[in-house]
Amino acid sequence: MTILQAILCGLLYWLAEANLPFISIWTFQRPLVCGWLTGCILGDPVTGAVVGGSINLVYLGFISAGGSMPADMALAGVLGTAYAITGGLDATTALAIAVPLGLLGTIVWYLRMTFDSVFVHMGDKWVAQGKFNRLWLTNLVFPQAFAAVICVIPCTIAAYFGAAYIQDFINLLAGKPLEIFTIIGGLMPALGIAITLQYIFKGEARIFLFLGFMVATCTSLTLIEQGIIGLIVAILYIQVTDKLAPAVATAGNTPSGEYDPDYDPDDDE
Amino acid sequence: MAKKEWKQRLIPKSALFKASMIFETFVQCAYNYERMMGMAVGHTFLPVVKYLYPNDKEKQIDLMTREMEFFNVHVEFGSCILGLAISLEEEKAMGADIPNEFITNIKTSLMGPLAGVGDTIYQGVLIPILLALCIDITQSGNGNIWGSVIYLVVMAVLSYALSYGNFMFGYNAGSEAIMDFLEKGTLNKLLQGASIMGCMVMGGLIVNYVSASCGIVINASGTEFSIQESLFDAVLPNILPLGATMGIFALLQKKWTSIKIILLIVAVGIVGGLFNILA
Repeated sequence: MTILQAILCGLLYWLAEANLPFISIWTFQRPLVCGWLTGCILGDPVTGAVVGGSINLVYLGFISAGGSMPADMALAGVLGTAYAITGGLDATTALAIAVPLGLLGTIVWYLRMTFDSVFVHMGDKWVAQGKFNRLWLTNLVFPQAFAAVICVIPCTIAAYFGAAYIQDFINLLAGKPLEIFTIIGGLMPALGIAITLQYIFKGEARIFLFLGFMVATCTSLTLIEQGIIGLIVAILYIQVTDKLAPAVATAGNTPSGEYDPDYDPDDDE
Repeated sequence: MAKKEWKQRLIPKSALFKASMIFETFVQCAYNYERMMGMAVGHTFLPVVKYLYPNDKEKQIDLMTREMEFFNVHVEFGSCILGLAISLEEEKAMGADIPNEFITNIKTSLMGPLAGVGDTIYQGVLIPILLALCIDITQSGNGNIWGSVIYLVVMAVLSYALSYGNFMFGYNAGSEAIMDFLEKGTLNKLLQGASIMGCMVMGGLIVNYVSASCGIVINASGTEFSIQESLFDAVLPNILPLGATMGIFALLQKKWTSIKIILLIVAVGIVGGLFNILA
């Protein structure tokens, strides 16, 4: 890796981490995207996209809410992919190396969240004086300059020296340790999936996880095909339950001998 | 509520567009623990404040000061609050009797529910499903970049469109309409449908991307008996990845943090690998 490539990796990490533009949190921050771009920097976009995608599996359902950041997937994506390409690692090994880096990276986020308060007080002062246009400085230029310093420098250094030594490091681990890396890398995506399940594995939707599992086990459908089937099944399910719901309601209202004190003939809800 | 007549308004549509773009683009540039997105809300008012009080610097300063307070929401779903706040400030500037606290209160009371709904739908359902499908695209054949490209384009376009549409919805429709949307059954039905599709995709993802296999080989009177090949693969392949995923899910339900689970996976990998329990 050349110095220039390492600096570009650092700049990419800044773009992915510092929320400028805000959509970078949904796009460049995801290893699927920043891994691909790291691949572009290092001249191998396809490997970048494949390795980045694999790393992204761990962070599938990670939620950053209320200013928390459970793991720095951007650093994991950029450095994990960079090491995979320069060291010739397979995706699973790269993933096992990337995840601990992601934990380290959260320091950058918490540093930024803490220090940016300084700029708020500058903003308060200038707004009280009626200098509203200076909000461009306090809300954009100053905090982003600060973010650039804390993002670009460590990531550039880590990319440059990491890439130089990754091959030696992997040679050192050859044999059993590398096998263990593969086992860990194989299990990590289960975390990303399990976190996502916390939001969707609820109520009547639960059984469909096992349907999806069986369909994938027994057929060779691609995930896209399976997703489309899932969409159709979801629409069918809602149509059927919708049809059933009013029928049950009417059945309850027919004179079945039960007295309903809340019954209101004008209530058409 | 009917759409507002542009003729009666103080703010031109272009200024509203600019405000909405400032909000969506720069909202987290100075994200911090003290006010979260507070300063970005002030920044959002920058293009509109001169239309509200054209010749009254004092009132402009008042408005900007109260809009710099603590604010935090899911950006794309919460942008309607900004639209609503601008429309309330506009009515106030046109002479309506709206106390300052009313605007602040309505902002803070809508913040929580919209953040909850937005984070769940966006980060809990939409992004994982789209990511899963796009990751699968990158791995098809000998690997390709299209999964990354499609994901990037879809999320960028969707986020800006949703943010602007929702901003104008809040501006035009008012707070009752926002509460209506939050309470209607449509939202739940949409979530349930997305959950069903999401569960189907996650089921497939477990099979295709989680790998775990048992390395135990029993040597019984000269014949080798591999538990993975003779038992799991024969009865139900992929049962170990499913078990691992459901086990981690159970730990998450018990409020384990993801860092703890990562450390556990590393420990299991080392122990399992050293003693050949896992392969």
